[in-house]
Amino acid sequence: MESGALKEVRQARRGHGAGDASGAGTPRERTEGWNRYVTRYVTGVTPLAVLSVLLIAAFIMMNAAAQNSALFGRLYSVLLLVNILGIVLLLALILLNLFHLLEQYRARVTGTRLTVRLLVMFVVLAVVPVSVVFFFSIQALNRGIDNWFDVRIERALDDALLLGRTALDALKQDLVKNTQTMAGEIETISVTRKIGGPRSELTLLNALREQYAITELTLFTQDGKIVASSSDASLDTGTLLPDRPNDAILAQVRQGLVYANLDAIGKSGLQLRVVVPVHPREVGAPNRALQALQALPPRYAKLGESVQSAFADYEKLVYLRGPLKFGFTLTLSLIALLTLLIAVWAAIFSARRLAAPIRELAEGTRAVAQGDYQKQLPVTSHDEIGILVESFNDMTRRIHRAQSQSKRSQQEAEIQRAYLETVLGHLSSGVLTFNQRLMLRTHNPAASHILGVELKAGERKPLAWLAERYPLLQPFTESIAQATAAGDSEWRTQIELPANNHSRTLMVRGTLLPSWRGKRGGYVVVFDDITTLIQAQRNAAWGEVARRMAHEIKNPLTPIQLSAERIRHKYLRQVEEEERSALDRATRTIIEQVEALKSMVNDFSEYARSAQLRSRPVDLNDLIRDVVELYKNERGLAAAGVVPLHGAADKTGRKAPRPVATKLELDADLPVVSADPGRLRQVLHNLLLNARDALAGTPKPVIRVSTRAVAENLHRLVELKVQDNGPGFPEPMLGRLYEPYVTSKEKGTGLGLAIVKRIVEEHGGTTHAENLKEGGACVTIRLPVGEAALVEAPLHKLVPAEKNA
Amino acid sequence: MRACAKTNWRRLAALLLGLAVLGRAAADFKVTDVQPKFADQALVLSGNIDLGLSSQVEEALSKGIPLEVVIEVRLYQYRRFLWDKQVAAWTLHRSIQYHALSGQYLVSAGDPGSETRESLLTQQEALKSLGSLNDLRLTFTNIAPVDSYSVDVRASLDIEALPTPLRPVAYTSFAWHLNSGWTTWKVAR
Repeated sequence: MESGALKEVRQARRGHGAGDASGAGTPRERTEGWNRYVTRYVTGVTPLAVLSVLLIAAFIMMNAAAQNSALFGRLYSVLLLVNILGIVLLLALILLNLFHLLEQYRARVTGTRLTVRLLVMFVVLAVVPVSVVFFFSIQALNRGIDNWFDVRIERALDDALLLGRTALDALKQDLVKNTQTMAGEIETISVTRKIGGPRSELTLLNALREQYAITELTLFTQDGKIVASSSDASLDTGTLLPDRPNDAILAQVRQGLVYANLDAIGKSGLQLRVVVPVHPREVGAPNRALQALQALPPRYAKLGESVQSAFADYEKLVYLRGPLKFGFTLTLSLIALLTLLIAVWAAIFSARRLAAPIRELAEGTRAVAQGDYQKQLPVTSHDEIGILVESFNDMTRRIHRAQSQSKRSQQEAEIQRAYLETVLGHLSSGVLTFNQRLMLRTHNPAASHILGVELKAGERKPLAWLAERYPLLQPFTESIAQATAAGDSEWRTQIELPANNHSRTLMVRGTLLPSWRGKRGGYVVVFDDITTLIQAQRNAAWGEVARRMAHEIKNPLTPIQLSAERIRHKYLRQVEEEERSALDRATRTIIEQVEALKSMVNDFSEYARSAQLRSRPVDLNDLIRDVVELYKNERGLAAAGVVPLHGAADKTGRKAPRPVATKLELDADLPVVSADPGRLRQVLHNLLLNARDALAGTPKPVIRVSTRAVAENLHRLVELKVQDNGPGFPEPMLGRLYEPYVTSKEKGTGLGLAIVKRIVEEHGGTTHAENLKEGGACVTIRLPVGEAALVEAPLHKLVPAEKNA
Repeated sequence: MRACAKTNWRRLAALLLGLAVLGRAAADFKVTDVQPKFADQALVLSGNIDLGLSSQVEEALSKGIPLEVVIEVRLYQYRRFLWDKQVAAWTLHRSIQYHALSGQYLVSAGDPGSETRESLLTQQEALKSLGSLNDLRLTFTNIAPVDSYSVDVRASLDIEALPTPLRPVAYTSFAWHLNSGWTTWKVAR
């Protein structure tokens, strides 16, 4: 109950604050505030306590009243009414509370079930004893009241009353007799002494009164008028008027009857009244009445009064037995009811009070379960529950602290991880980590790229799985397996990885990760594709060889040629006719072969020539059209020093020259590249010548030249593809296509593709040669887009310049 | 008619009460005849109130329980446009008690001006004496002679004067609710 009240107070305060904030507050808010106010005062502890105290006070007063206390006697009915109303009010309040509780129970408010259980227990504990006490009290009360009454006492009182009456009757009869005697005397006087009237009668009355010791003696006329009266001076009646009998008595006397009775005269006790008719002796005289009042002797009076009051009290009590029982039962029932209600109310209060911290704990626990670790409960007591609440608060504080700490460290780890991932992601080297059982844990994009497989699928899979899934990776996985099996903390090895058409060389380095908590650490494997590096080294070596050869061979060639020509010139005419032809043949052969050697040496020197690019913006499409045009135009071709496309037929000795169809698929939106147009032209010549040569035996030779713009790793590139439908590259040569002297042609230095590759690399591009699945070879060249050139010279200005060149 | 209108709801209430206690309709108080008149700075009432007791009340009386009858008298001054003005009000307490030793009923009327106490042999006589208004003088001042006046009279058994244990019974029983209801009588000049 108290907690409920507290809550309501809090709510009221909150409501109050809200009201202040919003100024006057809406009517709805005001109504709600009023409702809260009412609820607080209806379900709170104060009204019930006050009401209970008032009711108990009222009952104490009522109990006093029921016992005929003078103080509360007058208030009895009011108290009864107040109590009944109070009980009804208390009942209403309790019902309201119970209803409130029931509503909460239905709404499954936390803690209500416990409250209800406690409430039921308390109520049973209170109701049963009170009921038992009530039942036996009622029994005892009824029996007790019944015990007041006794038949013998009743009879004794009746007898006493009868005795009193008999004694008084005897006195009365004496008085009647005396009065009648006196009446007789008065009759005689009225006859003998006619004159004097009342005066003489008064004298007689006085005499008679004194004679018979009567308290008061009065003579009346028939209609009640006083004729004469004599009274004892000692009788303090307070009035001089004699006591007059009422009309009923006078009527009785008029009929000639005697009236005799004992009159109760209030506080002054009892008196005997006897009225007798006085019949006049003479005819025609009016009848009169004589009344004798005789106060009882004090002894009689006292005893009579005592008997009367005792009898009256007893009679009253007997009569009131039923109402008395009713009244006591009512009081007792009301008190029992009040006790019960207060007990019920106290039960509600205690149950709520007991359940409140438990309910709060339950709510708090639920909140913690739902992830609210900042829940703190108010500590209201210092008992075990208070300790529990304090422990709960301590627990949530710790959990909250630990949770925020773990969250922070998680965030840090996340940042660390993101940092590592970024670093690894942008590393050109492939990085793989394995755990101690050689399961793949992490990998970076470069690893997937270098190995040419999707490593995502291999996560958390053993190394053997990788080897099984990608057989091409076998040398790689084997080297790792061997190195880890050897248990070296660091190792490095170089492996050849077979690719589709050429092998790649990987430099693999492995390191044992530090162990942690006694467990062996995993491995980190870092590898690089050093194929291009090796290629470059090889190319550099070849270049050096070519340069030296050109230098060493070219020098003696000219003297050889000159000498041969001199010999021929000098000795051709001098020698015999039959030897002349031999000399002629020999010198011609020397000169021709020297010429061939010269051209070969020139090629070598071309290959070995260091790059001196004169770059400028070039539209590749225009360049391609120019070159291809040359091949169509024989004369232009001859001028350019190149062999026409269909000239190959002549050289191979075929009878019918077969025209080669050239198909251009050029991307109209191709960006400008920054390049040396002369060298690019050479690239195109070499590629087209190669293709033409390859197509020598093909029935329907077609050369396809295509360009397009591509993007790779944020770089914009221009791609040039030259493909034919010939036999393709011989399979064994695929790996070493770009090396000098690698050729399939009968006549050829094998420098064509080598030069192409060299020029392209000088331009920062890449060359890729492959055999197509549908047949034929394809050479793909990718050149970076010249951003600077684009900015410096727009495309429409560049094109004419290129054409002029 | 005017008096009727004035006391209409009272009559209605009385009627309802009467219907409710129809079973013992014979035993009730009834103001049968009142003749009010003005005389010398006083209202003089003559008349009779029929005090019929229910059997339960009769039994209680015979067992020595004192009964107190309250006679309420109200004097109203007629006003043309407003409700009638109450000029004066009196409450008379009269009691009756059985005296076992003498076998008589003691009637005491604490009327203003005269304290009377009578011993009567029969209950009937006693009740008659209790209910009789014999030139009862009720003094007051400031009477305007030109106005017309009326008197409302009601007689009832005072339950609060009963012994305490009897009161809850009396309150909860119709037999103890003896009430004449208000009756209106015109004051004669």
